[in-house]
Amino acid sequence: MHIMEGFLPPMWCLLWFILSIPVVVYGIIKIKKVTEEIPESKALLAVSGAFMFVLSSLKLPSVTGSCSHPTGNGFGAVIFGPAVTSVLAIIVLLFQAVLLAHGGLTTLGANVFSMGIVGPFVAWAVYKGIVKSKISSSIAIFFAAFFGDLMTYVTTSFQLALAFPDPTFEGSLIKFLGIFAITQIPLAIAEGLLTVVIWNALKDAKPKILEKLNLLSSKEVGASK
Amino acid sequence: MNFDIDYIAHNNKLSQMDTYLKILIAIPIMLIALIADNLLLDFVVFIVMAIGITIVAKISVKHYIKFISIPFIFAFVSCIFLIFFFGKGEVIFETGIFGIVVRDDALNLGVYTFCRVFACFSCLGFLTLTTPISDLLHFLHRLYVPKILIEIALLMYTTIFIFLDQLDVMRNAQETRLGYIGTKSTYRSLGFLFSNLFIRSLEKSETLQNSLNSRGYDGELPIYEPSKK
Repeated sequence: MHIMEGFLPPMWCLLWFILSIPVVVYGIIKIKKVTEEIPESKALLAVSGAFMFVLSSLKLPSVTGSCSHPTGNGFGAVIFGPAVTSVLAIIVLLFQAVLLAHGGLTTLGANVFSMGIVGPFVAWAVYKGIVKSKISSSIAIFFAAFFGDLMTYVTTSFQLALAFPDPTFEGSLIKFLGIFAITQIPLAIAEGLLTVVIWNALKDAKPKILEKLNLLSSKEVGASK
Repeated sequence: MNFDIDYIAHNNKLSQMDTYLKILIAIPIMLIALIADNLLLDFVVFIVMAIGITIVAKISVKHYIKFISIPFIFAFVSCIFLIFFFGKGEVIFETGIFGIVVRDDALNLGVYTFCRVFACFSCLGFLTLTTPISDLLHFLHRLYVPKILIEIALLMYTTIFIFLDQLDVMRNAQETRLGYIGTKSTYRSLGFLFSNLFIRSLEKSETLQNSLNSRGYDGELPIYEPSKK
């Protein structure tokens, strides 16, 4: 769930924009450098951004009975790194606001901060950490997607609690976290499982792609040859 | 899966109108409604935008209600939450369940937030229901948003629709083979669906690059912008 258009007071909209812009600018600089070196990567980026969008517009059956959608940012971050994912996320969020009426323009900054910066960065760090310790990449991708999703919502709760500190910041943070915990932990697990299934199918069908992107743990590289 | 909004944006009475004018109407009003936080103003904005969408742009009321219903439900639930669980002011209503009470400042907060969300959403609706994405991206280009971002966004926009077609085909194939009969098989099928889609997307990106190169692509995508009436 993204923060809706107009839900945040103007001051907070502005603050999150200011916080998000440097990261997105850094991502753009990075993309510029990559696309100048390898011109083919522009099409790849566009196509994977579209993939993220399609993934996030998918309805996923979750345990609570409510239908939610995966964010897809964990997957993107693992494959392309967090900085590039933040740029893709801002486009995806813009398209979601404009094409699906999901999220909004004034809250774009806040949503980019939670879904495009914190989520992917956590997912990427978790993935790298687990793979380094020579654990199977399927397990790593599960935790990456799980924590990426979870931290996105924890950040959203922080943003909401800061905007509505009523009566105190801590009190309202606990309330928002409580609400999100009920709906989002099952969803995060569901997204983790789905990402593992995607990952395994990808590993079986095209191990070369993942090897080329240097993503498998060292044990698996030998096994797939 | 279909994007009604995109279809409507291309087929309404205002889609030929100057993009600048539409943005100059929608965005400042949205910001004013956001900053002013005034119930009466919110209400006026909502009515004006509803008239703009249904009567001026001639978008059917059915589509408009469909567009507004999902945000309405979300906003309603969130504001109910705000009303019942927040505030520290005077108690004005006791539900008698778990000591949950409505306080006057929370009620205020909930009502104001709800109206603000609605006013802003109507402005967003006016913009997105009447303006195709490519026009919006052209506008962003004028705002000195980096070219590379616009280019990737444009390429992404075209690819999304190719994907949705492929997704539909694959999903139908899975559904006719009972791929979504239970929770376990749903996950299995979804995994197949998206891993396949990802592999195809990689192939697609290669094809896209080849076709761009063969037409003299040198890192710039000049796009014809038809003049508006």
